[in-house]
Amino acid sequence: METTCIGPAPDLSFQLAPPLEGASELGGTTTVLAFCAAFSGSVTEELRAELRGLGAKLVAIHPRGGLLIAPDDEPRPLAPAPHLWEAYEVRRPERGGPGITVLLVDPQRRIRFRREGDALLPVEQALLKALRSAVASTRGIGRRELIVNAIALALAAALLEACATEQRKGGDSPAAGGSGLVEVPLIVNGQKRTLRIEPRVTLLDALRENLGLTGTKKGCDMGQCGACTVLVDGKRVDSCLALAVQHEGRSITTIEGLADGDELHPMQQAFLDHDAFQCGYCTPGQILSAIGLLKEGGGRNDDEIREGMSGNICRCGAYPNIVDAVRSAKGRV
Amino acid sequence: MERITYQRADSVESAMKGGARPDAAFLAGGTSLVDLMKIEVLKPLHVVDVSRLDLRKIDVQQNGVRIDAMATNTEVAEHAGVKKRLPVLAEAILAGASPQLRNVATVGGNLLQRTRCAYYRDLATPCNKREPGSGCSAIGGWTRMHAILGTSDACIAAHPSDMCVALAALEAMVHVRGPNGERDIPIADLHLLPETHPEREFSLAPGELITSVFVPFSAQGARSRYVKVRDRASYAFALVSCAAAVDVQGGEIRAARLALGGVGTKPWRVPEAEQALVGKPAQRASFQRAADLLLAGARTQKDNAFKVELGKRTVVRALSLASEAS
Repeated sequence: METTCIGPAPDLSFQLAPPLEGASELGGTTTVLAFCAAFSGSVTEELRAELRGLGAKLVAIHPRGGLLIAPDDEPRPLAPAPHLWEAYEVRRPERGGPGITVLLVDPQRRIRFRREGDALLPVEQALLKALRSAVASTRGIGRRELIVNAIALALAAALLEACATEQRKGGDSPAAGGSGLVEVPLIVNGQKRTLRIEPRVTLLDALRENLGLTGTKKGCDMGQCGACTVLVDGKRVDSCLALAVQHEGRSITTIEGLADGDELHPMQQAFLDHDAFQCGYCTPGQILSAIGLLKEGGGRNDDEIREGMSGNICRCGAYPNIVDAVRSAKGRV
Repeated sequence: MERITYQRADSVESAMKGGARPDAAFLAGGTSLVDLMKIEVLKPLHVVDVSRLDLRKIDVQQNGVRIDAMATNTEVAEHAGVKKRLPVLAEAILAGASPQLRNVATVGGNLLQRTRCAYYRDLATPCNKREPGSGCSAIGGWTRMHAILGTSDACIAAHPSDMCVALAALEAMVHVRGPNGERDIPIADLHLLPETHPEREFSLAPGELITSVFVPFSAQGARSRYVKVRDRASYAFALVSCAAAVDVQGGEIRAARLALGGVGTKPWRVPEAEQALVGKPAQRASFQRAADLLLAGARTQKDNAFKVELGKRTVVRALSLASEAS
């Protein structure tokens, strides 16, 4: 469990954002520094719980400010800290730098770990996952030095999984004969995304867990309910029964990719206009399936709509309104 | 799901090589294999992806249609030549699964579709097909969806495919390539009866890959229909289904082919039933006689005895519709 010492950490002082204001200096504790394009703080409480187990602090720094998360304090917003980006020689994401740069600073203010990458998981989830596995691996370890090493290793492992590294692979078939992680480039909602996944990962899980696109729902997870419907090269498929690795180079459309800015896709609008859902869980799949149906030239009458939508189950029983919505969207999809 | 290694085959040769490993499985659309891998009923260690092989043509020839193995179910069902010359095939495919599944499920994969027996899919119960010698939980169990024809004391699992029932009635030939060369297998010989070894399901050798299916044209094939009876209006496996192809001239049956789904351990044909129709008037009494012969060997369980009468009525209905099309 040895990690190398990369070098001394530069100055770690920064200003708290209003209304707290005032300077703060980190030292004496293990600190995870995450420079990233954006940080919503959406999992702050869970992060705090994990940090408590490690006796560490997390400083998330983004171009417009940041967040200091310490185990026993309320999370505190930070003022923009351009000097930190410079001091730590981090290229800013908005200027072509990596999506995330993570550093680990030990209580003696030495940098023990540094890694850059483009996070495929949202930053918050990647960090949470890293800290969780660090807590698991330090259970029973009392010595601070070992804990720092364990955090560094866990961060490395979690970020390796969550981030696409800059390396590009050669060759044609992804990792022929390998069971480790494979790189799978996809076009998701018009954007090129590269997964680093095991070959056994389904397209559904890759979308939800690796890309954070949780609009695609997991219902039965066995091809019987249609909640996971997405479009692959324009055709509707059940993403739960497809391995992501099979889809290298394919174009995937999920519910997140339908709207044009604030303007909903005509099928989304039709579902709203016709109140074509109750709980809403099956709705993303219903909408993608309905788009697929009309693109196929189906749905010429209500019977054809019902038959054509038979692969999408709605346990709230919104079927009559779903048929109305699909009928009304004809000619606009 | 167990960990796997993944190989994307770029040629039939490399697919056969990878597929010859005893722990390998061919992956096409994934709708059956990935499902069974997720519930760990099938646990291949090496998955050979054949979905991008150049095997996607549907070629209308003089005597029939050659359908490449990676053509999707949707592509076959929507093909104008298939709809016109082999309507039962298009109808059967559209009666199965859902549009999402048909968009990726392939002809080759559909031919090798596994049973939907609930006990086969439940690791907590004994199943001779999944674990040879462990026993059959279906016999004496819940049997509404189980077979009544071609069963054995070891297994009563029903064959699940609609497409295969149509291909049986159309007497298709399955073309395979393997380490020992190429061969054609009549569809009637592709699926094995369970007998004492229900774990043996197909007459394929390790590494043999289905590359195409040839479906011959015939007078009866051009006037063929598929009737499927199920527990809901759409998207359900068959309780009973019947593919009927008849050639009727001047009210008299010249030739007939019949196959049953949902009731057999494989697509079910009885040549005597077809022979009994030849030379007979295309009328209900003739159809009823054929239906009786088709279901004659039925061995029922407590939940599926209804399938005998339901099966006969389905046969009569399919023959009536096919005759009307003549």
